[in-house]
Amino acid sequence: MPTLSRGASMITLLAMAVTGRAADWQMSLDTRLVTSDAGRSFMDGGLGTTRFDRNDSGVQLGRARLALSAPLGELWSVHLDASLWDDKDRSPVGVTEAYLQFRPYPRAGYRLRVKAGAFYPPISLENRAAGWESPYTLSYSAINTWLGVEVRTIGLEAQLDWLGTRTGHDFDLGLTAGAFRWNEGAGVVLASNGFMLHDRQTPVFARVGPPGGAEPFQQFDRRTGVYAGVEGRYLDRVVLRVLRYDNRADPTQIDTVSGAIAWATRFNSAGLRVESSTGWTGILQWLDGETIIAPPGVQLVWPFRAQFALLSKRFGRQTLSARYDRFEVNTNIPDGDGWQVGHAWTAAWLFDADAHWRLALEWLRVRSYSYYRTEFGGPPRATETQLQLAVRYAFGSGVR
Amino acid sequence: MRPPARLSRTACSAGRAAGALALLAALGRAGPVLAATLVIHVQTPDGHALSGAVVTARPLDGQGRRPAPVHAVMDQVNRAFAPDLLVVPVGSTVAFPNSDSISHQIYSFSAAKRFQLPLYHGKPYPPVQFDQTGVVTLGCNIHDEMLAYLLVTDAPYFGRTDAQGAWSADVVRGRYQVTIWHPRLRESAADLERELTVGDADRADLTLHLLKSLQPAPIADRPHSWDY
Repeated sequence: MPTLSRGASMITLLAMAVTGRAADWQMSLDTRLVTSDAGRSFMDGGLGTTRFDRNDSGVQLGRARLALSAPLGELWSVHLDASLWDDKDRSPVGVTEAYLQFRPYPRAGYRLRVKAGAFYPPISLENRAAGWESPYTLSYSAINTWLGVEVRTIGLEAQLDWLGTRTGHDFDLGLTAGAFRWNEGAGVVLASNGFMLHDRQTPVFARVGPPGGAEPFQQFDRRTGVYAGVEGRYLDRVVLRVLRYDNRADPTQIDTVSGAIAWATRFNSAGLRVESSTGWTGILQWLDGETIIAPPGVQLVWPFRAQFALLSKRFGRQTLSARYDRFEVNTNIPDGDGWQVGHAWTAAWLFDADAHWRLALEWLRVRSYSYYRTEFGGPPRATETQLQLAVRYAFGSGVR
Repeated sequence: MRPPARLSRTACSAGRAAGALALLAALGRAGPVLAATLVIHVQTPDGHALSGAVVTARPLDGQGRRPAPVHAVMDQVNRAFAPDLLVVPVGSTVAFPNSDSISHQIYSFSAAKRFQLPLYHGKPYPPVQFDQTGVVTLGCNIHDEMLAYLLVTDAPYFGRTDAQGAWSADVVRGRYQVTIWHPRLRESAADLERELTVGDADRADLTLHLLKSLQPAPIADRPHSWDY
């Protein structure tokens, strides 16, 4: 929705004008040299599990990104993250996150944060770098790829933290609750493509892939989705997150204008991240849920689950990471429509030459069984391998 | 409590000591001031020297002076406090100049001083006065990973242990209450208080052992842009 992008840019400029304070901004350009033998990419309407398919080998645009943060007075701020991917994107610039944040000063050991707008719910322990990118690999895990494609909070979120580590304890505790709309399409990509591993986030109100592709950010059943989560931290070493998400969509609802169906999607997620002072990081994430549609006379259910384990070691400016993903989409449809099961190995080397330049090499192999491939006339099993060399240049007020 | 150590070295320098005694005797005519060196050693539970620990020594005989307030500076450089620990006498002022090009919002909810201070680039704020003793934990409301401490003390003698885990000061002879503190201390500072008499010897040594190991140090080289 270009109006949103324009709106967010206007808000940011207005904030700068009103407060007289410069916004923090950042731009980056990420280009790739790709070789892949994967089946047709989801960006072209295919069932490939990687971002780049066998027709994409060569030079590709990874991502061009602009991020802005500006204060609105002392306690409010506005944040915008806009990206451009490539010509498959069809809308030239997309906004992945745009929100207002209310950030009162912590008091008596408690800190409150409230966000309003469009942003990621606090689930991923992997996508911790600027632009919701992973500092470990180029392609995200199956779980977080799905979140990037279909899940966004377009609404409100409040987070209350007890800052134990600031009051002489070894741990912090946090509670998060969110309420959102415009996420009734979440689940359609899981049911129609299954899990994938890539870094192509869907901009808010954008479409996934070519015309006729999924549109996760829709609202027509007038219901508000909710999520609630708990976070525990041990010093700055361990983070444990548990979250329950339910978009509370009415699966019997069909949009009379577009013909779109409301996907009732709910899941539980849990994650654990452990870091050491010697540069080791370990991440485990787990996702288990289901998505349901119920057009007249039938109820179709796709239960889904995925897990991954990531191990990473930093050597100065270099990071070596390995990740193993497992994923599965089931179905109650007798002929197995939508059934997918698979696993993936990812190995990556990242080199932060300085604050501006980053070089990355990633090998990704996904083995999967997908019922839909038979409908396209192919064998259901596929082993897909993608190799990427990435060069990223970043600059801006926050990049030094 | 250990008795004063290394008497043999003191004996070897008896000549110099005699000169010093003459000088002290001369000073003594002006008042009962007799200086000696107080040396505090701080060790971890496994016997390693602990550097950076804050040591304060407070006279128990009432002959102490209150330390004079100072004007100190705690800067913000590259999204970190510099230094990350300051010990200041009670009544001191501390300036937070912000050398970063980005904004910070410094706060403390510690009982010894509650304050909030927005630091926008190029907009100086007056220094903050600290007129209650205690530990003040500082954070930034924008950058959650920023963390620093101010220890506000009324002790006339204070400082931090060196790389060998030692701190020393020339003090007036008498009885002292010695306390140590460290930001990553896992035990109550009250459990680490000791009393010590600086007697006739030139030097009084005290070794304090932590009972519990410190919290691990924060991970140092994590990029600032990461979500914590």
